[in-house]
Amino acid sequence: MQFEKISVQKSVRSSLGVILAIWGGAVSVAALAADPQVVNLRRLTEQEYRNSIADIFGKEIEVRGTFEPTKRTNGLAAVSTSFLSVTPVGFESFSKMANDIAAQVTAESYRAKLPCAPKDAKAHDEACASKIVSHYGLLLFRRPLSGAELDNRVGLARRITEQTNDFYAGVRSSLAMLLQLPDFIFRSEVAVVSSDGKSRTLDSYSRATLLSFLLWNTTPDLELLRAAQGGELNTPAGLAKQVDRLMSAPRLVAGMRAFFDDLLQLDTFDTVSKDSLLYPKWGSGMAESAREETLRTITGLTLQENGDIRDLMTTRQTYLDRRLAVLYRVPFPFTGDWVKYEFPADSGRSGILTQISMLSMFSHPGRTSPTKRGVALADIFLCLPTPDPPNDVDFAEVNDTNSRLKTLRQRLMAHANNKVCAACHDRSDPLGLSLEAFDTIGSYRTTDNGEPIDASATIQGRSFVGAQGLGQYLHDSPRYPACVSRRLHSYGRSGRRWTTEDLADTYKAFASSGFRLRALLRNMALSESFYAAAPSAETSTETAKKVALK
Amino acid sequence: MKLDRRTLLRGTCHGAMAVMGLPFLDCFLNSKGQAQTGGRPLPTRFGTFFWGCGLTHSLWIPKKGGTDWEMTVQLKPLEPFRKKLNAFSGLRVPLDSKPNGQHWSGLAAASTGIAPARSWEFESKTIDQQVAEVIGKGVRFRSVAASASGDPRQSYSSLGGSNALPAEATPLSLYMRLFGSGFQDPTKGDWKPDPRILLQKSVLSAVSEDRHRVMQNLGASDRARMDQYFTSVRQTEMQMEAELKRPTIEAKVAIPDAPSKDIVANNAWPNLQVVTPLMARLGAIALATDQTRVFNLSVSSPQNQMFTPGDPLGFHQSTHEEGVDPKLGYQPRVAQYNLESMQLYAALLKELDAIQEGDGTLLDHSVVMAFTDQSYARIHSVDGLPILTAGGASGRLKTGYHMIGDNSPVSRVGLTLQKALGVSVDTWGKDSLQVRTPYTELLA
Repeated sequence: MQFEKISVQKSVRSSLGVILAIWGGAVSVAALAADPQVVNLRRLTEQEYRNSIADIFGKEIEVRGTFEPTKRTNGLAAVSTSFLSVTPVGFESFSKMANDIAAQVTAESYRAKLPCAPKDAKAHDEACASKIVSHYGLLLFRRPLSGAELDNRVGLARRITEQTNDFYAGVRSSLAMLLQLPDFIFRSEVAVVSSDGKSRTLDSYSRATLLSFLLWNTTPDLELLRAAQGGELNTPAGLAKQVDRLMSAPRLVAGMRAFFDDLLQLDTFDTVSKDSLLYPKWGSGMAESAREETLRTITGLTLQENGDIRDLMTTRQTYLDRRLAVLYRVPFPFTGDWVKYEFPADSGRSGILTQISMLSMFSHPGRTSPTKRGVALADIFLCLPTPDPPNDVDFAEVNDTNSRLKTLRQRLMAHANNKVCAACHDRSDPLGLSLEAFDTIGSYRTTDNGEPIDASATIQGRSFVGAQGLGQYLHDSPRYPACVSRRLHSYGRSGRRWTTEDLADTYKAFASSGFRLRALLRNMALSESFYAAAPSAETSTETAKKVALK
Repeated sequence: MKLDRRTLLRGTCHGAMAVMGLPFLDCFLNSKGQAQTGGRPLPTRFGTFFWGCGLTHSLWIPKKGGTDWEMTVQLKPLEPFRKKLNAFSGLRVPLDSKPNGQHWSGLAAASTGIAPARSWEFESKTIDQQVAEVIGKGVRFRSVAASASGDPRQSYSSLGGSNALPAEATPLSLYMRLFGSGFQDPTKGDWKPDPRILLQKSVLSAVSEDRHRVMQNLGASDRARMDQYFTSVRQTEMQMEAELKRPTIEAKVAIPDAPSKDIVANNAWPNLQVVTPLMARLGAIALATDQTRVFNLSVSSPQNQMFTPGDPLGFHQSTHEEGVDPKLGYQPRVAQYNLESMQLYAALLKELDAIQEGDGTLLDHSVVMAFTDQSYARIHSVDGLPILTAGGASGRLKTGYHMIGDNSPVSRVGLTLQKALGVSVDTWGKDSLQVRTPYTELLA
């Protein structure tokens, strides 16, 4: 491979350039003359880390350790990867994993897979050590190592080999070092001056990284890195060629699963508990199956069938395994793991809204919560977050099951009489109340507290009944596909602030495709604005401060 | 969903039906081996215990102050430790112009002395980290956090900002962190440093040397993140240094064998009753064998999701939705959850008090601060936030007192504990929470 020869000058940056860059920031054109700037650092998620290791070293290398949690912000855990750092506890774990992975890669059984073997396993071999370090350096850092970096890493290998008389102990140390540097643990977005000299745009390795994690949820492969090296990703034709290659591969499913997992908050599912006395049917493994059902439904409809994303709100088609069939009370005469299934029209089911995942995640352990469901749906599908309720609010009426207000609906409606409550509950409660025919574990029911369920709802003058009415309402709401598009952009470029104008063109293309996810993705990935080095919300405030100081 | 009775029952030992309490605990942690003694003065340790949603005023606050206070309903589980306890009532949490962030402002004020501008962020290191900087040097772990309800996010220990130090979320993961790879049993005769650590340490110093390169071309916030990154690298280096030295220990404890399987940790009360004492025991052994000097245990998030099977609401939801019983004057189900929270605190203290070392118990050589987020969760009020401490800080903190409400800000407790633990600090906290005067009557 030729990557070893790649430019070294990137790392040779004059201190004057740095000073200029710091001064300039996003303030003036003068900044454009400065050196490359890191505009965003994203901490790898657990899945990104695991997939990277599997793709770089092979699936036989085990990743044993724990990862620091993320923190969902503006609807996405991905957003927090742009502001979270690594705590001592998190690094301790990264460090252990790095040593463990490096040990596995230099173990006797793996050595045949390394790019070369030393002349003498008891002595340092500069050529072979360099080859190994530059090969894995490129893959782990998603860019070639500079000459200085390579010298430094190989130097460590030499020192350790001289101490231990073991070539592989030396190489192991170098690999462990690469795995513990922030260049691997964080993916960086580096901005350079665009070809017209007027703005800043992401450099080609940053583009390769962005595309690969967005579309495949893993580190860029050699072909993508080759395209980056040749600068192809900064030309429209070269970019289109790679985007189309990535999008036509089956791994696109893995990429989109990761996005929807984050969007629907399915990653929080395993901290949800259910009351085993009230709901003995709920057992271990249910959450895992329910999460899988939803992801299969989404990728099946949007990718395999290239369907209209709005139909996710209304489709009766789903995928079931034996465990779920029991909860849905559906006969499961099949022997295979997962089968495609269509709920009958009178089942009351409507798309992913009525899947066990969404119904049970946003409920209490032993009771439904129309408010919780409504708040979640408004946030996830309409990008309408709900503020906390006032501090001194009295909810007692809502819960008093002995109250003359018998059903939860009647009790919730008490909110409407209070203006402060009504401001939010008028939006969230109808969304949730229309799902009341499904209990806290997602099973169909016709009564609540002995009274028949009334699942009618009115939002902004539009009335509907039940989950199917809600599904149609969301299907027809222009906010829903716009929200998916907005969140997909934030997911792809999590450190960046996206204005409505930034999103207008891709939304237009999305709409005219009949809301096909592939069209949205492709348009987004090909648009230059996706790679623009627009200031993040935080940087722009800092810049504003600097300007004010002047 | 993690509540699975079968999983719970499967976690028995040798087929015995030991579901809860000590027999199970002993079984999970099968201790053998002999203890060692050293000759050094015993270190003082610090711990926190966090539970969400507070207590019920009328049921926990004794009427009398000083040492002659009468036992109350909600402090009753702590009766065995009464002489080692301090209870602080009537503490104020002035927020100045800051918002009252639900389930957060009280927590952050108690643990940092600063009313936070934003929820889910700390504006300084939390008290355990401030203390750890002084008492925790030279041992393997600067601090260890565990979450008995099984969520790594349930840690209220932080170096400041958005990052909390993640909690170990199951007994097995806590065990592996403490006594898995990197651990050499100091109670055994054949202790020797692991030679691999030397190599790993040289790799880490090589990583540290890259700091300058990494810092180039970063914006201000990424610079701060990378600064934290390299601080973390440094701390892991120091951990490795500590792993090369044999800790001297006084306590008669033995390291339990690794459990063969994990058990379910979640919000269900039956599980909390099993997991809390297990984690407490592991933490106590880690403190006694000087693997760490700071142990933080949480049993819930601030919006305490603990629930008793059969109760569709659980703790947090009950605080908002259960009516105040007109005869009793409080929320009866909430009161029960309050009491259970104190039982979990007692479970932690029991494990610390069970370990003998030197002239007393591990608890006598520690301070454990129990704190919460609300004083009256029903309306999210923070004034009157309960704080309880246990342990005498090796004789430097007097115990057995009820410090009755004198309008002190909540930060006064934190200042007092830091003084007792030898942290050199004259003032603690910010704005109206800034305090200069500790409870001098408690300082020995």
